[in-house]
Formats: sequence, structure tokens, C-alpha cells
Amino acid sequence: MFSFRGCGGRVAASFTKRHFPLPRLGSDSAEPRTPHFDVIVIGGGHAGTEAATAAARCGSRTLLLTHRVDTIGQMSCNPSFGGIGKGHLMREVDALDGLCSRICDQSGVHYKVLNRCKGPAVWGLRAQIDRKLYKQNMQKEILSTPLLTVQEGAVEDLILTEPEPEHTGKCRVSGVILVDGSTVYSESVILTTGTFLRGMIVIGLEMHPAGRLGDQPSIGLAQTLEKLGFVVGRLKTGTPPRIAKDSINFSILNKQTPDNPSLPFSFMNETVWIKPEDQLPCYLTHTNPRVDEIVLKNLHLNSHVKETIRGPRYCPSIESKVLRFPNRQHQVWLEPEGMDSDLIYPQGLSMTLPAELQEKMITCIRGLEKAKVIQPGYGVQYDYLDPRQITPSLETHLVQRLFFAGQINGTTGYEEAAAQGVIAGINASLRVNRKPPFVVSRTEGYIGVLIDDLTTLGTSEPYRMFTSRVEFRLSLRPDNADSRLTLRGYKEAGCVSQQRYERACWMKSSLEEGISVLKSIEFSSSKWKNLIPEASISTSRSLPVRALDVLKYEEVDVDSLAKAVPEPLKKYTKCRELAERLKIEATYESVLFHQLQEIKEVQRDEALQLPKDLDYLTVRDVSLSHEVREKLHFSRPQTIGAASRIPGVTPAAIINLLRFVKTTQQRQAAMNESPKTDQYLRDTDRLQERELQLSIPKRFLKSM
Amino acid sequence: MWRGLWTLAAQAARGPRRLCTRRNSGAPVPGSGATIFALSSGQGRCGVAVIRTSGPASGHALRILTAPRDLPPARHASLRLLSDPRSGEPLDRALVLWFPGPKSFTGEDCVEFHVHGGPAVVSGVLRALGSVPGLRPAEAGEFTRRAFAHGKLNLTEVEGLADLIHAETEAQRRQALRQLDGELGHLCRGWAETLTKALAHVEAYIDFGEDDNLEEGVLEQGGTWGWGRKMPRVHTQMLPSLSSSACLPSPTANIEVRALEVALGAHLRDARRGQRLRSGAHVVVTGPPNAGKSSLVNLLSRKPVSIVSPEPGTTRDVLETPVDLAGFPVLLSDTAGLREGVGPVEQEGVRRARERLEQADLILAMLDASDLASPSSCNFLATVVASAGAQSRSSSSQRLLLVLNKSDLLSTEGPGPGPDMPPHLLLSCVTGEGLDGLLEALKMELAAVCGDPSTGPPLLTRARHQHHLQGCLDALGHYKQSKDLALAAEALRVARGHLTRLTGGGGTEEILDIIFRDFCVGK
Repeated sequence: MFSFRGCGGRVAASFTKRHFPLPRLGSDSAEPRTPHFDVIVIGGGHAGTEAATAAARCGSRTLLLTHRVDTIGQMSCNPSFGGIGKGHLMREVDALDGLCSRICDQSGVHYKVLNRCKGPAVWGLRAQIDRKLYKQNMQKEILSTPLLTVQEGAVEDLILTEPEPEHTGKCRVSGVILVDGSTVYSESVILTTGTFLRGMIVIGLEMHPAGRLGDQPSIGLAQTLEKLGFVVGRLKTGTPPRIAKDSINFSILNKQTPDNPSLPFSFMNETVWIKPEDQLPCYLTHTNPRVDEIVLKNLHLNSHVKETIRGPRYCPSIESKVLRFPNRQHQVWLEPEGMDSDLIYPQGLSMTLPAELQEKMITCIRGLEKAKVIQPGYGVQYDYLDPRQITPSLETHLVQRLFFAGQINGTTGYEEAAAQGVIAGINASLRVNRKPPFVVSRTEGYIGVLIDDLTTLGTSEPYRMFTSRVEFRLSLRPDNADSRLTLRGYKEAGCVSQQRYERACWMKSSLEEGISVLKSIEFSSSKWKNLIPEASISTSRSLPVRALDVLKYEEVDVDSLAKAVPEPLKKYTKCRELAERLKIEATYESVLFHQLQEIKEVQRDEALQLPKDLDYLTVRDVSLSHEVREKLHFSRPQTIGAASRIPGVTPAAIINLLRFVKTTQQRQAAMNESPKTDQYLRDTDRLQERELQLSIPKRFLKSM
Repeated sequence: MWRGLWTLAAQAARGPRRLCTRRNSGAPVPGSGATIFALSSGQGRCGVAVIRTSGPASGHALRILTAPRDLPPARHASLRLLSDPRSGEPLDRALVLWFPGPKSFTGEDCVEFHVHGGPAVVSGVLRALGSVPGLRPAEAGEFTRRAFAHGKLNLTEVEGLADLIHAETEAQRRQALRQLDGELGHLCRGWAETLTKALAHVEAYIDFGEDDNLEEGVLEQGGTWGWGRKMPRVHTQMLPSLSSSACLPSPTANIEVRALEVALGAHLRDARRGQRLRSGAHVVVTGPPNAGKSSLVNLLSRKPVSIVSPEPGTTRDVLETPVDLAGFPVLLSDTAGLREGVGPVEQEGVRRARERLEQADLILAMLDASDLASPSSCNFLATVVASAGAQSRSSSSQRLLLVLNKSDLLSTEGPGPGPDMPPHLLLSCVTGEGLDGLLEALKMELAAVCGDPSTGPPLLTRARHQHHLQGCLDALGHYKQSKDLALAAEALRVARGHLTRLTGGGGTEEILDIIFRDFCVGK
């Protein structure tokens, strides 16, 4: 019989006191039964915690399996969250009621928005996070989430059964087998094993198997996945040494202070937990030629650097920076690890030199002359699964109801992992309830760009989010993530709380109302000039100018407009967030108007679904070249839009696909008319909803 | 890249509910797909040329060109004076037809302008349409595709669509190759490169400027950016150290963009006076050395274009001459005989000949009828003739006529060309025997090449060029004005989009590659 490892041991009953789903685990009952969950999440990192809580929020009885409960929510690398592009992802995770943004608002020690002066579309919310607090707060949240059970255990294998005939895939996952031989059954399984698949830690010439310093790698699981036919690749990453805080001479270094006031990550928070004056500073120092010299002299002692496995181009180790850009100073940020932590994280000094040389190199750097290395930097090499093997809902093509999220898909970064976690959790739950998948499109969010890039193009280096990857960057901003995703999350996925939903609805309708009011106020330019003298309004224009156009000027905000035209604008100054968001909408209004056409073209292509069970290699009714067939077979795009983004799939091939789809549809429609129409109507409704989110003038909506 | 071509496909698939109806003013409705225009009648001499538009702004465009008159009654031919909306200058007195959707060829609002066929009139109307906001030149096969998307073609008709689009894409590719070969192409590629680099630097500054260690200098260095004064504190302190680590491999983005704007502006002003594009169908004569290619060129052009001698390898460069063949404008090219292992000068000639072959609409493949068994003839048959033949079966690309010259040297009873010879024509450049047959065959082939308006007649190509260059220039103007860096980058993205429509390329990876090559970003 199955025994709950940790039931009587380390996972105290208090962890799961409210929702320990034992009704089916009756040891007294006549036939002993193993426990059964809706969703099992393997891994308690940033993808795993988001996936498990998202599935539970959607109403699924969920089990989170992790090697060690005390490492749940561990920040294995940098002590910070957010940044440019990554901050966008966090806002979107928050819009779907995910955890990381709220927890960062409770755990940060230095909040600072990057790109403040480059336009609100590219603001990067970022914070230094107290590792201990983050972990504590995360564990508190996880262990108090209704319907979520946490258990310690290493997964050795998957339980596979006959596939469901109505879906593609060669088998179906229906549970997991743990290292101790016990089994747990479930309706779906999410793998978020991060760097643990055949993880290997490298310091100098030493290598030993580990997922993270001090943790065992997952080898059995890696073998199972390979046996199933998953295409596996190898990537590498690294982390810098940690330095004793009291061994650093901060007095000679440049100090960076946090923002005042701090801008919270979550839409639900007005402020963060800590006052700006209580926050910790960061310091900046630089490398010098002596650092280069140590790196270059000791390359023979550094097997991680010599390996051919692809590492990230943008988060390189100090060794690769020295090799690729010689004779330069590279910057090193000294970041606090927490309020009461004695450690400093030297961001920019990721290295894999032998431990004794690491300290030698560090003491060459200004301010670090007497630095003590507490834990050496190390490199990690690990298996990842080619993400073209998963659908945009993150379910694998090969195994039904098996989902992958996080670093296992070839991404890097906490935020990228969290974003995939939320989507995998939602979809694993929807799948169990036989509901259509929840997919975020490229036109709706950074999450959509991330997942679309991964599933259609794959990746050969650890994938990180950049704003430059996003075509519709001006529409997909940190400020409007809630209007883009919260409503959909509430209605389609059920992962959003009532309170958040109501807040998002209120904000959305207030914004729409505010914009139409701003459009309705029209004066001559000379009158505006008199009302707001500080604005550089050109008086040469003879046409009347709308208040919305005046708000576009850099020196005008809602407050100054409301001073000029108190009625009806005064009420929009009451809510700070609303006033700021109106200003942002005005800034981008004219460009968004044009971008909308392009967005609709993309959305139309994405509304055209390709049959999921299409065998591209053998299908006869479509005339396609062998090369195109292979590409389509591997990536299995779900829409015409995704197919057209695969390099090498030609316009003619797309037409042929489209013709095939239309013929099939006509055949189906002849047999069964109503269901298809419903599908299309639903698509149309969704389109219209999205139009609203992009704050299109209402008068245009009426005509559509 | 071409994802955008797709515009309305989904709409039809979604079923009967029509999303876009015209607003009363007839101005383009945003978000309902672009309005496209193209010359739909063939090139060559014709009395009447037909120019078509399709899309929501069609009515608006018609009204603008025929101002001050209102829309004519639907589906009735009406005589209207067309004038240029910007200058008010009259263009032509033309028949116009207004087909409001969905009862039209594409299912969208369509307009047909039946204008007088002269090149000046046609290019004038095309330019006028291009200047109407919301209108752009159609891409290959776009009209048909829209018709398909709106359920206006049945599936049997659609059978040929993919082939057609492939053929049109091929034709445009050849047209683009020809253009990019010349000075203009060189310019465009240079501009696109500059712009891509400038964009990469702006993107790098957005994505890595603060998180990592790029400096304001990426954009500044003598520039005047509005937000410079707001530079974050910490970075001002970093300046000295960074200037020594100088991440900048090139002058900065702003300077380059400004220079580009000047160059584009000058080019466009110049282009309006008449940018010379080689016009006509491209017919290339090719074959092994001494097959009589130059003799044929001289014969067809009725003038001594090329030097003719019995010595193989006489023609070394590509010689081109505009001729009128059976009423079609043709650019006839004589090329060096294809052979390996000769001196460097002739090798260059052979290379140019092959390059020219790539760009041809119609290939005249010549062989010496009395020398069919020689290795050079066999090789030529196996490579050039066979490969072109294989392609044309898919009705997709270049056409080829195989001509066996020197028929006068074949004895009347002697062994003629074998039965396994592909379809061919016999000709003697010396006696002129077989010339009538060749001209007849040429006429049919040229009718096929020129009859299809989408093979990129120069007028349309020029309109397309100007449209995108102007679009690029306009976007650069927005770049300069934008104080918000995200908006400025957007303007550069739009500008680059226009240029890459002419030169190809344009992916995000290209930008990221430049960023990671030029900057040491990372922590």
C-alpha cells in the first residue's frame, strides 16, 4: 500500500491540515487504494509553485512533489526578481493571480523600476529580494492553498496507460512512481524539474551530479523521457560565488539607492511591505586587467568554459565575457541577499574556476581586496527537452496529459519559469475538466510570445525574455496586463479570485470612460495654451484639440488637465493608478490605433486551427514538400499563424494547408453543422473582447 | 515576414458574420485589413489598362481620386476625371466601376479604374493610389487569396491557387533579384543594413541599458535626445569607466538614422523625375560556347549588338539590348558560353552569365545542332535545360525555349537530333531558316510572361518601391519626434519593415545577433 512519505516525518501534518485529500486513502476500507489527485506537479521551484497553486485555484486537487519541502521557493541563483521584459512577465503572472509578484511585494529589500526614462511600455519592474523571506512567504502561501497537498519524494518514473482515442499522443500519463517504489495516480502531471534532469555541477575540473548545490539530480526520469522518444538537448548555466558582507569595503564604491516611492509588482498592492528608507542599497564595482589575466592563465583548469554546450549569450560567465570582449572593464553589482544575511551576491561574476582561484580573482577587484568567498561559484549542465515537442498549452505531443514548464523547456530565469508554471497549471486543470485549453497569443502578452517562440521555433540557448522579441510592445505593457489577462483568466480558466476580477473590471471600465471623456473635451489650441501655459502646444493648428491629445505632451498629466478643466476631469485624479494609466494610454494612443490592424491580421491567422491529429508525413490531400512536412511534423503548429512563423514553411505551403483545412471543415460541417459555428462565434467574441482591451475608440467598435 | 499577407483569411473561416462594414465617411476602418491595389491588365502595349483595388478603403480612394464627385452607382460603368489628390493635377479621364462588398471579385469593397494604357497615365494613377492613407501595393497573389478567404472561389478553382502564388512569388523574386542587382538594390541593402543596426542599438539600449551596462552614448554622442537630462544617477558615475571600455563599434544610432533620412529623401526626390528601371521581359540567350548565341541576338535585334566570330568564348560580358519582339518590350541579353576551366576573364563572364540566367523570365537555350554529342552540349542539356524543364512542369518558374542552331549544317538525310531530345526548334542563323517558327514560339511565351500583371511590370515595381521608401522616410520622421524611447523604437521597426519588404530578411533574431555581437551584455 501507498504510504505518504513525510506524513509522519518531515512534512508535518500542519502543512496540510486543512486540505489533506485523504478521503480516498482509507486504510480501513476493504480494498486498499492508492491516492488519486487531479494534478501532480513535480518540482517546487518557480515553475512548480506557480503550476501547483494555479491548478489548485482552478479547483483541481493538486499534489506538489518535491525533493525537499524546505527548498520550496528557493531562489537558486540571483537574489532579485524582475527586470526589463521579465517585469512584464511578472505583471502578467500576477494578472492571472499567480504568486511571485505578491510574494516579491512582501519580501523585497530594494525596489527599483528600470528604464524609467525610456517610456512606460518598456519599464522594467525589479527588486532585490530577501531569499529567506521569499522562501518563508512562498512556503506559507503554498501550504495554506486550499486543495494543494505537498509531499517530499523523488520521482523515478511515470505511469503510462492507453491513450484517449479522441486526442493525439501515443500514450497517456496517469500517475508517477517514486524512488521508494510507491505510486501516486493523477489525471495529469506537470514536470517542472528545472536543471535537475541529469544535472551536473562543475567547479574547475571537478564535476559531480547534482541539480543544484547540495541536491540530487533526477536521472531515472531523464531516462524515461528519452525512452518515450523525447528529443533531449543539453544546456549550461552558472552562478557566481557568494562573498561575506563584512569583508567588503563599500565606502569606496558607487552606491545605488532604491526608488522612492517603491512601485509594487502586484496589481493588488498599493505599496510594498517596506519603506524606501529602510531598504538596502546596492553597490557597483568593475573588473580590471588582472581579472582577465587570471581567467586567461587558468583556462586549462576550467572544463565548463571549454565545453561546447550552449550557454546563454546574455548572462555569460566572467570567463566568456573576458574571452569574447577582451581588454574591457566589466561591471559587477554587489547585491544584498537579504535583510539579515551576511552574504553579498556579486552579479556579473558567474564563474567556474577552481574554488581557490575564485577568491584570488575576486580580491583583485576594487572594494573586494579583503573579500572572503563563503560559497564558490559553479556551473550547471543539464538536459532540456526541445520545446517544439509541446503545444501552446504546454502539454506534450507525445504523452497525453503530461505538461512541461520552466527550465526543462530551455528557458532561463525565475520569471520565465513562473510564467510557464501558471499556464501549465491552468491547462493541466482545464484538461482534467475536459475544457478547451487556455492559450495566450503573441498579441495578448509576453507569456504568449515566450510560449509561441519556444513551441514554434525551439531554442538552442537558454531562452530569456527581451522586450525586443515582442512585436506589439506598445500594446503589451506592464500597466495594462490586468486588462489583457485577468478577465480571460477569470472567465476561461477560473484561476482568478473574485476580488481581483472585480478590481480589473472596475479599472477597465474607468479607463474606457476616462478615455472617451478625454476625447469629448475639445478646445482650440490657443485656449489650451491659456489653460495650461506650461505645455508646448503649437497654436498654429486651426482644428480643435482633444484633451486626450493635450495629455500626450510630456509636461502634461491628468492633474494639470484636471486643474484646467475641473469638470468632469477632477474625479480621475482621485485614483493615482487610474490617472497614471490614462496618461500612458494617451501617450500611445495614435500608434496603437495603427498597430491594431496588424494585431488583427495576426489574430485572424491564429483563429484558423490546424487539425491536431494531422499526420504531416503521410497525409495525401495536401501537396507539401518533404522538407516542409518534416518541419510541420516536428513542431506541430496548432494554427495557420504559428505554421507561418516556422522558418522554411512557404506561402504556397500555407495556402495548401488552408485549402486542406477548409475542405475538411466543409466535410465536417456537412455532417454536423452547429458545433463549428459555435466555435467561430466564440472566436469572434474573443476578438471583440480583445479589441476592447486595447482601448479602441468605441465608435469604431459599433461599426464592426 | 509574409505573415501579414494573410489578412482576411480568418474572416471567411469564421463564417457569415461580417466584421467590417464601411463607416459613413468611407475613411478606412482601422483593423479591418489593408486595402491593396495593383495593375490587373498585362504589360506591353494596350489601349486600356485596368487598375484594381480591394479592401475597406476602396470607396474612400475612389472618392478622393474623383473628387469632388461622389461614389458612382454600384456596378455601373461611369466616366470620371481622375486627379492626383495631392497636386490636384488631372491624370486621365477614365471609366470607373464601384463594387461594394460582398458582391465583388474578392468579397471586399472593390474599385476598377479603366484608364488609358500609356505608362505615364498608369504610373500616375498608381502613385496617386499609393498616396491615399490605408492603401498599399498588393503582394503576389493577394487578390486571389482574398477572394479565396471570402469564399469567392470554389475549391476546384483554389486547386491552382497555390501554384499561382508560387509562380508569382518566383516572378517577384526574379524581379527583386534584377533590381537588387543594380545600383538601387545596392542602395536599399545598404540602407536596410544601417537601419537594422540602428534598431539593434536602440533595442539593446532598451533591453540592456540599465539592467546591464550599456550607456546613453549608444544613442547620443552628439545627438539630442529629449530624455538625456533624466539620466539615472548611477550611470553618470559610470561614464568614465565605460568610455574606456567603449562598447560602440560604430557611430551611434541617431547619427546614422539622420544620415539615412537625408539619403532617402534625396533619393525619393530624384526618383520622382524618373528612376531608371530596366523594363520589359528578360530574355536571356545561353548555351555552350560557339553555339551561335551572339548571331541570334544580332538576328533578333536586327543590329550588330555582339561581335560574332568562329572562335569559342568570343562573348565574355553580358550584353543587353532592348528590343521589341512581336509587340512585347523585351530586354535581350547575350551571355558568355557556359564552360569550365578557362582563363579568369572568361570565368568571370561565365559567372555573370549564370547570374543572369537566374533572373531571366525566358531562357533561349542554344545548342549547335551539328554538335549535339559533344560533352559540352550533353552537359548543358543535363544541367540547364533539364533543370528548367523540371521546374516549369510545376508551372512555377522560368520558361525555356530550346533552339538547335546551325540546321544548315545538318545533311538532309543525315542523323538529325535524336528522339530523346526535349522539345526544340531548328534554326539557322546563317540562312534565316526557322526564324519565323522561332518568332511565333517567342510570341506565345512572351504573351504568357507579360500577360500576367503580377510578374512585376516596372511601373508596379516602381510604385511598390516608392511606397515603401516613402513609408520608411515617414517612419524615420516619427523616430526623430518621439521622446518616448519605446515609441522611437517602434518608428524604427516600422521603417525597417518597409525596407525589408524590398530586400528580404527582417527577423528578430537578426537584431539579437547584432546586439550580442556588438555589446557585452549580461550580469
